[in-house]
Amino acid sequence: MPLRMASTDRLTHNCPHNYPPPITQGRARVSHALMLPPRVPDKGKVDELTREFIAESQEGLERMELCLTELEKRPGDRELVAEIFRTVHTIKGTTGFLGFGRLEKLAHAGENLLGALRDGKVAVTAGLINGLLDLMDGLRAILRLIEATGTEGVRARDEDSSLIAMLGELKDAGSAPAIAATPATTPSDPSPTSTAATDSPVADVAASPTTALAPFPGAPSIPDKSLRIDVEVLNRMMNLVGELVLTRNQILQCTPGALNFPDLARRLDSVTAELRESVMEARMQPVGHLFGKFPRMVRDLGRTCSRQVRIEFEGQETGLDKSLLEAIRDPLTHAVRNSVDHGIESPEDRIKAGKPAEGVLRLRAFHQSGWVVIELTDDGAGISTERVLAKAIERGLVTPEKAASMGEREVLQLLFVAGFSTAKQVTSVSGRGVGMDVVRANVEKVGGSVDLESRLGFGTTLRLRVPLTLAIVPALVVRSGDQSFALPQNSLVELVYVPLRDAQTAIESIGIAQLYRLRERLLPLVWLDRLLQLEHNPAAQEHGFYIAVVESEGRRFGLVVDDLMAPEEIVVKPLSAALRGIGMFSGATVLGNGTLALILDVAATGARAGVRPIADATRSGGKDAEAERARNQQAQIQDAQAQNPQIEMDRSMVVFEVRAGERMAMPLSLVERIESVPISEVEFAGGKAMLQYRGEVLSLEDEGDVLGPLGVFSGETTESQAVATVLICLRPGIPGTHGMRRTGIVVRQVLDITAGTLLTEDAAGFSGRLAMVRDRVTTVHRDFAEGLSTQPAAALQPAAALQEVA
Amino acid sequence: MSDARVQPDGLHRDFGDESGASVSLCSLRAGPGLFGIDTRKIREVLGATTPQRVPLSPQYISGVVPYRGEVLTTVCFRVLLGLERWSKQRCVLILDDEDEGPFGLAMESVGEVVTIAQDALEPNPSVLDPRSMALFDGTYRLPAGLMVRLDPHRLHPSRLAETGLFADLKLEMI
Repeated sequence: MPLRMASTDRLTHNCPHNYPPPITQGRARVSHALMLPPRVPDKGKVDELTREFIAESQEGLERMELCLTELEKRPGDRELVAEIFRTVHTIKGTTGFLGFGRLEKLAHAGENLLGALRDGKVAVTAGLINGLLDLMDGLRAILRLIEATGTEGVRARDEDSSLIAMLGELKDAGSAPAIAATPATTPSDPSPTSTAATDSPVADVAASPTTALAPFPGAPSIPDKSLRIDVEVLNRMMNLVGELVLTRNQILQCTPGALNFPDLARRLDSVTAELRESVMEARMQPVGHLFGKFPRMVRDLGRTCSRQVRIEFEGQETGLDKSLLEAIRDPLTHAVRNSVDHGIESPEDRIKAGKPAEGVLRLRAFHQSGWVVIELTDDGAGISTERVLAKAIERGLVTPEKAASMGEREVLQLLFVAGFSTAKQVTSVSGRGVGMDVVRANVEKVGGSVDLESRLGFGTTLRLRVPLTLAIVPALVVRSGDQSFALPQNSLVELVYVPLRDAQTAIESIGIAQLYRLRERLLPLVWLDRLLQLEHNPAAQEHGFYIAVVESEGRRFGLVVDDLMAPEEIVVKPLSAALRGIGMFSGATVLGNGTLALILDVAATGARAGVRPIADATRSGGKDAEAERARNQQAQIQDAQAQNPQIEMDRSMVVFEVRAGERMAMPLSLVERIESVPISEVEFAGGKAMLQYRGEVLSLEDEGDVLGPLGVFSGETTESQAVATVLICLRPGIPGTHGMRRTGIVVRQVLDITAGTLLTEDAAGFSGRLAMVRDRVTTVHRDFAEGLSTQPAAALQPAAALQEVA
Repeated sequence: MSDARVQPDGLHRDFGDESGASVSLCSLRAGPGLFGIDTRKIREVLGATTPQRVPLSPQYISGVVPYRGEVLTTVCFRVLLGLERWSKQRCVLILDDEDEGPFGLAMESVGEVVTIAQDALEPNPSVLDPRSMALFDGTYRLPAGLMVRLDPHRLHPSRLAETGLFADLKLEMI
């Protein structure tokens, strides 16, 4: 995506493929005050030139980090060595010029060692890699110090002497045996085991000096306050701004009722759209930037937890809004750490389980219908649902009775409950019980969602879904108490209209709590106007009211509003501190009609109304998991579509009953209409029920014998007022005829239209085709089952699903 | 008040002293008083505007107004004076504050700009109530009466919240 300008000799890119694109001089550095509050202690202390140097050096060091971990795998790669050498060399050269003596000295020591390595005098060993990583941490720590204070902190005790001595030692020690042992110049592929074998003696030496400088490589790095954007994008933006100014000039000169006004408005519209697009493009950063630090982290963690782990990436070029990139940095780091520590088993256990000793973590990023999905897959032990349940019962999160009836997905959701940790033992890396709940909270804060899938013995997949951008969100505008409010679509589950005549019966109350019975589950209701102390407007609810079923941060409730307005893409504007204090509104927006609407913070609204989050609710009933599951299923379906484009896009199912109590489903795409047919219109020919439908004669299928009891066969058919519900479907063509054929299916009732997942063939020995629809087993109508391809990796285990039906 | 748009009577344009430095003040009406704000601190005067109410916000906040891609919090000056909220449309001034950013101030009407010698400012009288003390910045003697100078810095919503003086106002109808 980024067009690279001709680069100069400085910082030339030589890293192997798959790395974040190198930053060359052809791009402009733009200060980026929009997203992060400036956290630099005192900008005045650091001049422009130094800041530039720090930013460039840090980018260089990031690449060096990648190259180092890569070098460990391919010790013979001279290109890698050259790249690392160049980074350190550049730092050394520039520091001398800027007058940072301490940094220069350290860089110089490193350069000497790297020079020896480049010339083949030193062999690549794990000890050497460790030493170079320490050098890198040392350089980073000094850079951080310079950024914070403006000086490199030359104090009485020389912190670098041990590091420099160690680098010197490595150079001298390495040179003697290296020449014979590993000729680093030969590009032959060396065995990766050789590096692992030699690591222990040197690792101890290397560990000590680092602690003084950088406590942990994963320690929060300096927040990124600048953003590199393509000069091309910047030029295009400037052009568009010019266009905007010209259009404005013309509009200002317009006389009222000018004929060209519609033209101008259209032009303004297109310029705005393009400008918005290019600004978004400028804010988009490849997620690879985020992945960059993981190889090193995984390597270090692997050593601490004595695991052999490799990390692989896919889709690093996937763009994501810069602010969101920052927002998911910590959750993702946490998740990677978790996977190494808990996901991947020890090498011995892995070999016992018949897996290669080295575990693989796979980070995959891709775009999917307006979302960015980041998947973290490990091939580790997977999550034992029994253990999760045992723990949940022990912690009092669920009752044993409830636990017995929980589906696998529901069980995995427990991992996201605060204070839950399944680690057998607390390690220094993770397992303190603050984990996945923080991951989920952070991701949900930016409007995303988290999903977990696991197969015992085969591994776990964590899926983060984040919106492309935060600045513009789809929302539904609602009215309450004569005011407009915007409800973000991502927290909206469904909408229910309650006519006034039904209001008395539809709403039930226990004490002061009011509940709505939604598909046989009780939904707590929150009156928005009462909650916000707005003036109640009885006229607005003359005909009835709407319930917006919303869910956020595990809180699910029905928000009662007077009216629904149009769904809009709203531009989020922050509120001032004085109003943020109210805590109910996440911002404001200007609507299409020019008025302002406040954006409701759904989670905070629920909290204020006293709706309990899912963790508590699970204790008493676990109703709230339903929507979550439905959403997850939707996500899976979309994933499956992404993986297998042959599957038709529409995976919604119509769920209906043919016989009492038996649910049947059919892909929505095959259902043309749902008709209520008066019984009198059903005719018979040759013992088969027929229906004249739009000039066609449809044969009606009546498997469940719905028509009989309605009085079709008795004499008084013409008098009968009864109606039958008929699905008008397109049936895949019979061989010999062409295309689709219409047919009618008589059903008892249509239950729902919802997302469903097909289960793998022959699930539980059932001869027909089964699907999971809202976590209940549903038969797919036989005539339509063949047309559907199986979803890869349907996440729900059939056994667990059947249990729920029973 | 019969008409919100009444022009302040008897104001001459220039009360400046030939010798000393002078300051331009935009004259404003709220309740029975006449007020003035340094024109350099006013970014823009929006004509008749109805700020969008923010539920659960303090009484003295009349709502939010859109202004150049931002949503600004607006303070109702009448309420600060302890008067009933103005139900009609009002003038909103966009004021600048170096530390806290711009905000809106809702006034009944905006009058002429007057120029007054800078040193003519008299400090707040010591008998003033604490709320007025927090709001007013001093007084100018004009031929037609007194004009109270306002400082945007004191009127910023977050500053008002800090003082804690306006948390529970009892409003009266005038």
